[in-house]
Amino acid sequence: MRTRTLVLIATFAATMSSAMVASAQAVASVPPPEGWKACPRCQNEADRKKANADDKVEGHRFNPRDLSGVWGNQGIAAFRTSPPPFTALGKKRFDETIGEKNAAGEVLHSKDTSGEGTASPINCDPKGWPRLHTYNYGFEFVMLPDRVLQFFELTHTWRTIWTDGRKLPAHPPEPRWLGWNVGRWDGDTFIVESTGFDDRSWLEDARPDGGWPHSEEMRVVERWRRVNYGTLEVQITVIDPQTYTEPWVTPKATIPLMPGAELWEDYCVPSDYNAFNRDVFLPAATGQK
Amino acid sequence: MGVLRPVAIAVAVVTVAFLAAAPASAHHSRAGYDTAKDKLTTLNGVVAEVIWRNPHVYVTWDSKDDKGAVVRWTGELSSPPTMLSEGLSKDTFKPGDPLTITFMPTRAGTPQGLVIKVVRPDGKIVLDLSERRGLLEQ
Repeated sequence: MRTRTLVLIATFAATMSSAMVASAQAVASVPPPEGWKACPRCQNEADRKKANADDKVEGHRFNPRDLSGVWGNQGIAAFRTSPPPFTALGKKRFDETIGEKNAAGEVLHSKDTSGEGTASPINCDPKGWPRLHTYNYGFEFVMLPDRVLQFFELTHTWRTIWTDGRKLPAHPPEPRWLGWNVGRWDGDTFIVESTGFDDRSWLEDARPDGGWPHSEEMRVVERWRRVNYGTLEVQITVIDPQTYTEPWVTPKATIPLMPGAELWEDYCVPSDYNAFNRDVFLPAATGQK
Repeated sequence: MGVLRPVAIAVAVVTVAFLAAAPASAHHSRAGYDTAKDKLTTLNGVVAEVIWRNPHVYVTWDSKDDKGAVVRWTGELSSPPTMLSEGLSKDTFKPGDPLTITFMPTRAGTPQGLVIKVVRPDGKIVLDLSERRGLLEQ
């Protein structure tokens, strides 16, 4: 028995020791099928570096009015600041987003209609715009003569930005999760203006709990600029006097081209999320199944 | 057992040294998991099922408890794209695979964990999320 225990301990020590050495080595990602590309988040930094070198991104010629391509990491930091002070209505609506907590005081359920994330009662409602901008799953711009399409890997959806000269409707007949969007060029800056948003979506998670709300009256202005072949910059301004006392000019986001990536599908599947909540999240968070 | 004590202490030192070298993502709620470095737990087990789905991949395995009874554990990983970037595919683990799994346990004591590291019996590291989980910075 003693010998067996000693062997077990020695094996354990050897395993831990080899683990220490190997943990310093980079782990290769799972390669995509031959002839296909990885999804933006399926790559590691070494993959991205190689793809940039293969595509000769550095110093590559580019047309500043061509935004097409797969872009990564979106504006993940753009909303990680606090918005301007709330109006009374904004404060009331923000308070309504604060979720439940477990016995240890940890956030369980933000009252979020989209419910993305492990702390939420998932129902897979659309995330809406600009919240979809704040995740790092990557997106693709497709330029067409009369519109720009922005496809998002996360939730596998898209929005249409009309560039055919139409005006935003003064009274949109129905609210949209991703808004009513029109775009135009001002020099080399692509300006997108939007209105007619569904007020059930959030602008972004609030940390540590809840989310930044908006009203149906919200207007959003985006200023996109391709500063070089491999880099997009965008700054988003949220104008919603019903909710905030002044416009929220969010920090400029710098978004890298992902030449080695293509969009895969990343649906929010309600049955998968329900199973995850039932079998993993809630038992861990509450101790009850 | 007295003979074993110095060895056991040595193993404990090795373990602590390893864990000290070992990060915690702040993006998702980890409500319920004990993120304290000194609570990291390592178990030998046999894979029962791999659930390769959103929002997070999870794996179940069987381990024997102190009394020899088989306990079915559930280990949470990360999203499928993130797992691919870490070298893990849906076929990496198969039911029946013996593994050594290091994880953050739940405070409630449920047979669950947030998986940090997976090692095969030959010492090959299949997965190491120490950096992603912030354990290297603590």
